[in-house]
Amino acid sequence: MMGLRRGGLIIATIGAVSLFIGAAWAHPPFCICKMANATTVSCEGGFADGTGVPGVRLDVIRYDESVVLQTKFGPDSTVSFKRPDGEFYMLFDAGPGQSFDVDYKDIQ
Amino acid sequence: MTVLASPSRGASLWQRWRFHLSALVLIAPIVFGPAWFHQNAFFDGKKGLGQREIGEIAVGPWSVRLAEFKLSEPDAEGRAGHAKEFALALCPACVDQVKAAYLRVGKPRNLRTAGALFSGTPYRQTAEMRVPERTTADDELWLTLEGWDGTLHQATIPIRTASPVMAAWLEKRGRS
Repeated sequence: MMGLRRGGLIIATIGAVSLFIGAAWAHPPFCICKMANATTVSCEGGFADGTGVPGVRLDVIRYDESVVLQTKFGPDSTVSFKRPDGEFYMLFDAGPGQSFDVDYKDIQ
Repeated sequence: MTVLASPSRGASLWQRWRFHLSALVLIAPIVFGPAWFHQNAFFDGKKGLGQREIGEIAVGPWSVRLAEFKLSEPDAEGRAGHAKEFALALCPACVDQVKAAYLRVGKPRNLRTAGALFSGTPYRQTAEMRVPERTTADDELWLTLEGWDGTLHQATIPIRTASPVMAAWLEKRGRS
């Protein structure tokens, strides 16, 4: 009896949850940059739903907006480059509204 | 003499409980129906722009109505950190003039870093704005509108005004 009641509750819960499955949400981009060694920065990009970003552009830009490096994420959605001197930020740009900037102070 | 095979346990349970199951099928829509219709009306915009309207905000020559889409703390988005959804409606007079609207925490460096892009109709569009790790409750949201003529106009909204729930969440996060 208890088992069947529990089963009924599970069915009802699944039914209720399925009512809201149609609501689709955006999946924001992310870009995590770390020092791979003393001179090399390694960045991993992607989207919150697990989508990779092979071939997507990553720019390294100084605070004065001069572009130091234009590169792309590799097949494994990572990219490595020599750390520039001074103040800069990295811009993962997958299109309007799908960009993610990482300040050099946020390199882990 | 014919010996009748006893039904299996599964068949027996089905025979005994199928009535209750059919009743459940009828009852579930009655119980969950109102919530479903409410949710549907909310997503259709019949319940307003969002769950909490922030108000009319002047952005250069234009204005928008901004709202918290859901009256809740920012959503966890896995490796992307946290994000908070906002809804926006362009002023009727500027519908034809505004090409895009963006929202982010902190001042954007340029248009490429303007933040989350609002999508939807000019009368109700939404954007899921990223909440960077270093965000504090005293920071501001920057709303950038881009016109079809290429002009950019910006407005700032304190987080405490835009979303008291998010401000409280940030304060709690800052303490922990």
